[in-house]
Amino acid sequence: MALMFTATPSIKKAAALINALDASRFPLILSRILQKIHLKDERTFSEEEEEKLQSALRLSAPDLELLLQTLEFFLQQAAYHTAKPVVLGQQLQQLEIDEDKVKAIVEAWTNSAKEIVQKLRQCRLNHKQLEDINWRLNLQMAQASKTKMKLPNAMFELGIKDENTQEKEKIKLEFTHDELYAFYNQLETIQRQLDSLS
Amino acid sequence: MSIVQVVGSGGSVAADRTPFYGVRVPNEVKSLVKPLSKLDKQVFRKILQLIVSDIEGSDIENAELKSLETKELNEETLHTLYMGLHTLLQCALRHPLTSIKQEAFKEDLQDLQVPKEFHSDLASVVFGSRRPQIERNSLDSRPRLPQLENLKWRVDVAISTSVLNRVLDPTVFMEMTLSNGKLHSFEVPVSKFQELRYNVAYVLKEMEDLEKRNILKIQD
Repeated sequence: MALMFTATPSIKKAAALINALDASRFPLILSRILQKIHLKDERTFSEEEEEKLQSALRLSAPDLELLLQTLEFFLQQAAYHTAKPVVLGQQLQQLEIDEDKVKAIVEAWTNSAKEIVQKLRQCRLNHKQLEDINWRLNLQMAQASKTKMKLPNAMFELGIKDENTQEKEKIKLEFTHDELYAFYNQLETIQRQLDSLS
Repeated sequence: MSIVQVVGSGGSVAADRTPFYGVRVPNEVKSLVKPLSKLDKQVFRKILQLIVSDIEGSDIENAELKSLETKELNEETLHTLYMGLHTLLQCALRHPLTSIKQEAFKEDLQDLQVPKEFHSDLASVVFGSRRPQIERNSLDSRPRLPQLENLKWRVDVAISTSVLNRVLDPTVFMEMTLSNGKLHSFEVPVSKFQELRYNVAYVLKEMEDLEKRNILKIQD
């Protein structure tokens, strides 16, 4: 498999910092990074938390940043290539990171890899997604100009969520029997396409 | 104890049948009676034509109605006639053809004191060849939520994204045009698509069951 990491100077420096880290705190930092990895624009740690980390780990601000960024980078790359834990371990070792730290990273990755890849798969550029489907079946009995009717009617409410703005929109539609049948046929055509892909 | 017998005006038998216009005679129809008795058949036919085009859904010009005004037939009377006949026909047209009979209709017209010579014209509107168009129009103009006018779709397979090298995950992309002109485009993950398909099929089945059931149950 292609090398995920090349030993650039900053990575080398980060490796040294990682090695110098206290082993007890390490897994916690890793699990936090893994939690936030699929959310593109969010910072892993808030500013307060970063300050606390600085004093707890006795690192300067730029050092802490380098450390965190490099760890995030390792895990993002592992996710991007869907790396096997063994491969990840090997490549991290080549960067001259201590064995116990490598072990911690590989373990954290093994535990959460599946979930993360799933979540990343769902990341779409296109923001509006269909989220909810609700419906109602009515029987129209009468209207202003006609009595004694028996007209079945289906009302659908599709909930569309915009991933970016978190806005929810509801599309309300109405179908008679024939209209619903036509819609169903369209959906079946789409399904055939999906089936032919797999 | 004395027994008082009350005889109806037209002497009709069916006291248990509700007339086509309902339990009470609508006001517009009540005020129709006097001017109608003096009306000439030709003018009546013309007014009736206008009313029928209106009910069928085509727009009529105010000028057309005005043109029927004459010395004997002033604007007010003309309007009373138009409204009365319109209401009369609307009441009759509300009933589906299966639940109103021509003889009953004519009997009710008699009770309303509509001149006999107008009965056949009125009956031909309600029971005649123009009825299907009227039915279509009233179905089309009923209040409705927007309908799906057009559905454009696309199946995409994402091969790779900036965060994941191998995705190979299909997605459906839909663009719905509704009858109110709005355009909605959105993505449907495959799992949601299956849910949508399931729901639509379920509703279809429910609808078919409903149609089979109620044909037997609800008697007209």
